[in-house]
Amino acid sequence: MYTVIHAIVGYFFLLLTVRVLVRRPGAQLTPFEFVIIFLIGGVIILATVGNDHSETNCTVAIITIGLTHRLVSIMRSRYPRLSAWIDGIPLILLRDGQWQLEQMEGLRVDRDDVIAAAREKGLTSVREVEYAVVERNGSISIVPRR
Amino acid sequence: MTTPARTQSIDDSVPRDRNELSVGEDLDFQRRWWRFEHAVWIVFTVIVALDVAGVFGRGPVAKVHKSTPDGAMNLTYEQFQRFQTPSIISIHFGPNAVRDGKLQLWVSQSVITKAGNQRIIPEPASSELKDQGLLYTWPSGQHPDSADFAVEPASPGIYYFSVRLPALGDEFTERVVVWP
Repeated sequence: MYTVIHAIVGYFFLLLTVRVLVRRPGAQLTPFEFVIIFLIGGVIILATVGNDHSETNCTVAIITIGLTHRLVSIMRSRYPRLSAWIDGIPLILLRDGQWQLEQMEGLRVDRDDVIAAAREKGLTSVREVEYAVVERNGSISIVPRR
Repeated sequence: MTTPARTQSIDDSVPRDRNELSVGEDLDFQRRWWRFEHAVWIVFTVIVALDVAGVFGRGPVAKVHKSTPDGAMNLTYEQFQRFQTPSIISIHFGPNAVRDGKLQLWVSQSVITKAGNQRIIPEPASSELKDQGLLYTWPSGQHPDSADFAVEPASPGIYYFSVRLPALGDEFTERVVVWP
């Protein structure tokens, strides 16, 4: 029973911590953020399985995390507001030549990140950017000026 | 006959920015999130500070020392312990704790069941069930200066334990919080 409780608590605690820590998952993770994610994940595994390293216990833990994740996914697609809390919402960083300072400071995104995203789009200057948007997955979308 | 695939017509439900870009930015929501995020970091900081202080065990606040007025028994234990994590309940005996050449210590059953006693150092010569607890005896010439109970709480929650010197009637009843 403790494994199930620990797995569920661990899942939500990790979700909360990662959500407040970083907003650059997947391919956007920097080595600095990789360290944090793997370290936290490793620590939570220890608490989840405790002293019982049996296959039964680990299987129960994995299944519990899988079920919890599936349940959260279903709830997330059903309730868009919950999705906003879990994944965040897109935010505009640059709009028509104006840096959106509140959003940038809140997300701790600096101008170099936007300029790098513009380069990836083949743009040579940030002046060619109409919109720069941080997506829910943390990537920066660039809409060039027409 | 095959069932047709479910479809839905496109409706532009995502709010537009300046009537141009469908982005769905909600700055009010984001400000609420940042306030929540700020509160989470405060809570995290408080948790770390409490942990350093020992409120979650293994720190200065967790350690408790008690002595009987006659100095026959000194008890040291952690009032905050952790689930399935080793801890020590230590009892030091004064010279007057020995009666009739033997040292006897009674502990409540909860030391075994709730605190999860693993072993006693040094091992007593005998033990017997008495008064809903256990009476340990160290014989003449072998009585120790102290007895350490290596415990490992079996479940989270609150438990009470008692230790007593039957010969003198000195007793401590203590409360322990076990964190998950």
